[in-house]
Amino acid sequence: MNIKESIESVRKLFRTDSDPFPIDYQAVETLRIKYLGRKGLVAGLFSRMNDVSDKERPIAGKLLNEIKQEISSVFNSQTGSSKSREKSHGESDYSLPGLTFPVGHVHPLQQTMDDIKSIFMNIGFSVAYGPEIDDDFHNFGALNFPPEHPARDMQDTFFIDSETVLRTHTSNVQIHLMEEKDPPLRYIIPGRVYRNEAISFKSYCLFHQVEGLYVDKNVSFADQKGILEYFVKRMFGANTKMRFRPSYFPFTEPSAEVDIWSEKRSQWLEILGCGMVDPEVFKSVDIDTDIWHGFAFGMGIERICMLKYGIDDIRLLYQGDMRFLEQF
Amino acid sequence: MRISIDWLKEFVNVPSSTEQTADMLTMLGLEAEQGLDTANLSDIIIGEVKEKIKHPNADKLSLCQVFDGNNTLSVVCGAPNVDTGQKIAFAPVGSVLPGDFKIGKAKIRGEVSKGMICSESELGVSDEHDGIMVLNDDAKVGSSFVQYIQENAPSIELDITPNRPDCFSHLGVARDISVKISSPLHSPDYQPRPFTKSEVEDWISVEFENIDECPRYIAGIVKNVIVGPSPDWLKNRLESIGQRSINNIVDISNFVMMEMGHPTHMFDYDKFGSKTVFIRRGKKGEKITTLDEIERKLSPEQLLITNGKIPVAIAGVMGGLDSAVSKETTTVLIESAFFDAPTIRKGAKSLGMSTDASKRFERGADPNGAENAFWRVIQLLEEVAGGNWVAGVADPYPKIIEQKPIELTREKLDLLSGCDINDPFVLLTLKGLGCTVIGKSKKWMATPPSWRPDLEREVDLIEEVIRLFGFDNVPSKYHYNGIMENHEPDPHKGLTIMTSVLTGLGFTQVFNNSLQSSREVSLLDIPSVKIMNPLSDKMDQLRTSLIPGLLKTADFNVKNGEPDLLLYEWGNVFEQENPGMAGIVEKLQLSGMIHGLLHGESVHHKKKRSASFFALKGVIESFLSRLQIQNILIKPDKDNDYGFQNAFSVEAKGNIIGYFGDISHQFVSGMNLDINQSFGFQFDLNTLLVLTNKTVKYIPIINYPVVERDLNFVVKENTLVGDIVSTIQKNGKSIIKKVEPYNIFRDESVGENKKAVALKLRFQSNSKTLEDKDVNSVINEIIRVVSKIFSAKLR
Repeated sequence: MNIKESIESVRKLFRTDSDPFPIDYQAVETLRIKYLGRKGLVAGLFSRMNDVSDKERPIAGKLLNEIKQEISSVFNSQTGSSKSREKSHGESDYSLPGLTFPVGHVHPLQQTMDDIKSIFMNIGFSVAYGPEIDDDFHNFGALNFPPEHPARDMQDTFFIDSETVLRTHTSNVQIHLMEEKDPPLRYIIPGRVYRNEAISFKSYCLFHQVEGLYVDKNVSFADQKGILEYFVKRMFGANTKMRFRPSYFPFTEPSAEVDIWSEKRSQWLEILGCGMVDPEVFKSVDIDTDIWHGFAFGMGIERICMLKYGIDDIRLLYQGDMRFLEQF
Repeated sequence: MRISIDWLKEFVNVPSSTEQTADMLTMLGLEAEQGLDTANLSDIIIGEVKEKIKHPNADKLSLCQVFDGNNTLSVVCGAPNVDTGQKIAFAPVGSVLPGDFKIGKAKIRGEVSKGMICSESELGVSDEHDGIMVLNDDAKVGSSFVQYIQENAPSIELDITPNRPDCFSHLGVARDISVKISSPLHSPDYQPRPFTKSEVEDWISVEFENIDECPRYIAGIVKNVIVGPSPDWLKNRLESIGQRSINNIVDISNFVMMEMGHPTHMFDYDKFGSKTVFIRRGKKGEKITTLDEIERKLSPEQLLITNGKIPVAIAGVMGGLDSAVSKETTTVLIESAFFDAPTIRKGAKSLGMSTDASKRFERGADPNGAENAFWRVIQLLEEVAGGNWVAGVADPYPKIIEQKPIELTREKLDLLSGCDINDPFVLLTLKGLGCTVIGKSKKWMATPPSWRPDLEREVDLIEEVIRLFGFDNVPSKYHYNGIMENHEPDPHKGLTIMTSVLTGLGFTQVFNNSLQSSREVSLLDIPSVKIMNPLSDKMDQLRTSLIPGLLKTADFNVKNGEPDLLLYEWGNVFEQENPGMAGIVEKLQLSGMIHGLLHGESVHHKKKRSASFFALKGVIESFLSRLQIQNILIKPDKDNDYGFQNAFSVEAKGNIIGYFGDISHQFVSGMNLDINQSFGFQFDLNTLLVLTNKTVKYIPIINYPVVERDLNFVVKENTLVGDIVSTIQKNGKSIIKKVEPYNIFRDESVGENKKAVALKLRFQSNSKTLEDKDVNSVINEIIRVVSKIFSAKLR
């Protein structure tokens, strides 16, 4: 066997011996001595260098270095550096914790938002975003909240000036969309909204909403029920019991709220508001109410997130407490 | 609005249990709220008092034998009304009552008591604490009290939406029920009073400044009233909905409002101050002390009732104290008016007031209801307070308000409902709600009743029909006519990748408050957007950066024992670049920070490793590399405006896309935080979204061997290794693939103010196996150029 062939056969032998790599410390040492020991196989190969012709010597030398490095690196990677091994037998104790790699956590609110988006995107809704600071027209006027109407009291509003507000819902983007695009339209609009409400376990001065808008020629209350049932069952499970009950929003007529039944609390829990787009809204954006109809809906992401994960204090979502976030 | 079941029964048949009534109202859009918190009552059961004897050692106590469905237990009770045969709410030993009141086994004056018979106040049902709560005889012993109270609650709290002013009364709520269950509605029993000769003109007349603000004002007089306590039936009615009885006159006004919905007001005629009611706007400098004994400064924002000289009431909001009914009152001036809704709302709001009356007027009262309420009040004043009506009514009503007929078509009803609701149902519903209807099928002309200002358009009638039909009876359609042509990808698509990369790098996402204090905002020299009506001065500005929020979160966690943090947030920040709304700029940003240790000592790590500038830089490099944002340029940014010290800008395609560096200590001291040195980054998220919105093009893998060479240059200490690396790359022809500094060495052999930089160079050709001579010529060129530019020497 010439030196090249010998190197190759040692390589093959090592591959067999080292796979699987022994766990037991003694076995590792035996293996190491067999290959890398003073009288080991690799040393044996080096001792044959004297017999190699001058011509072949550079190549043979390179190959020898390679195999030595290759075998050493297997030992190093499997057992850590030789120094630490000498100090401790730890590596042979599989019960020690693994070498940790950091892993982060996605906020439950983000996860809920992503879930909601994907459920609606699956049935062909597009996603749109819009400004958090908006004028009175887009947040109220165009949505059929006349000035001095008690409906404005339904949403405690932060004002920047008398005509500018921190949006109280993402419905303002409905108006922007209908101003910019011609129907048919099918969008969901996630985003941050603000309410001038005292902070407590059940309310915060801001929250996130997903608004939905669907405008087409033949859209009925029955279609709205179908789509929202699909959503609720995808979000909360196929057996979720739900109901639509009449309510009031200035920008929809008829308006409804959707409740789901909580077996645990044995009560209905409100999860979203919806309704057929009020003709006044279409008029404010010059959409022909004889041709186009539609429905809109809105839900608080926090509320859905809290129901889903059993979170009982909304402030936890904004505290950034790692003991909370690590659970998601 | 609190509705008494008993009161409701006067006008309509209601279901046998309160729970069913509440459910029905909820499904009609009159949302019934859980009035009673039953969470703490789950241990309470229904018991029966089998025997009651006097406590042997205490006069005021009884010793009862209570049967709980299984056992008969001795219970000591202090209530005077406890008696044999009663069904009672029983709190067994071990149960907990509201207020964390735990029931234990007790010995009371020598007698063992195993449980407690509860009063309404102990249960939280009402404030009644003088005696125990006695339940109906048919209550089932041993069953849950919560179920009993839900079925038998005497009243329901309704959340009335702004479009239903008519439901601020028992009669209005009863009307909806009567239509729903097709059962007749019984109206209160009173009549407008006939008269032959009007005498009221001698007593009072009504004048207006602006008829549009007060289209109708009915005034009448009842003399010889005797002010005193109300009879029990009247007191009980008011108390059943949580109203306090004041005196018979005031109670009548409140009763009529709760019964029929229309607010009236009673003046003491003798204190009114004139014979003319004049309705006008307030004047600057005017004042009135209202019934609640608060002096109010008036202005033209309020509509006032005056006696021609001074204000006597704030129209539709509250009466004045000086003209109020008192014990001495003998003659009453009755006001039953219809005010313009926005006028009342503005007036009440300008004074920060909201009353039972203003709530009703600002949602839209009933102009005919004003008259109905007037006659009802007259009837009761005579019956209850023994008064005599002065014949006649002062009711100038020049512009009579009439409801307009609305067309409802079968076509539109079918289209909007998506289901089939038959003609008789449509007709019965509209009529039941009080509409006058012409037409039997296909097309109807419906004139809504005066008490439904919300019915103005066809769609409003359709809502009524579907509402009474029942939303749950509309079948769901799952085959809607979808349209695909306008579909667009999510503009935030790239955020999904960013979130997953940051998670993989160990970062945890947070959401922080967008509202900050002036102090927090002032730590950066960025003009902020201010809120006109903040919740508190701690939240009166919109954030101009995500960094302060992240730092506060870090501080919170440090204080809670978790100092090792990798955090990020995305969201909007706001800048007031120019005055006014047009000058507000919303910027979508992504920021993160690292603080504390990256890892501590462990069996695998002999040394702990702290967050550092290079850890942060590594994060940014990894992050951008996964986003396929290549050829980034990192430059020092000496005067960073965003709160970073030792700051650097990140450039891609010639634009600055973000900054990173040490987070400036001014935040830590400025916000008084408990954190150490931290490192942060900030990216313009919109730019990142644009840069990531591209499809990667695959580059074929090269299979020719890689040739590695080491170079070791001695350069001046202040030479940037990055500059050497980029110089090598520039001069590596097409075959240089990677340049990696792997060691930096300093000692005497290198020389003073010098360092030796060892670099690993990888060469590879796209088209052939590289030979030594190919690499050598490139290496020689690299050595030449580097030596020249950096005065470097090979080591």
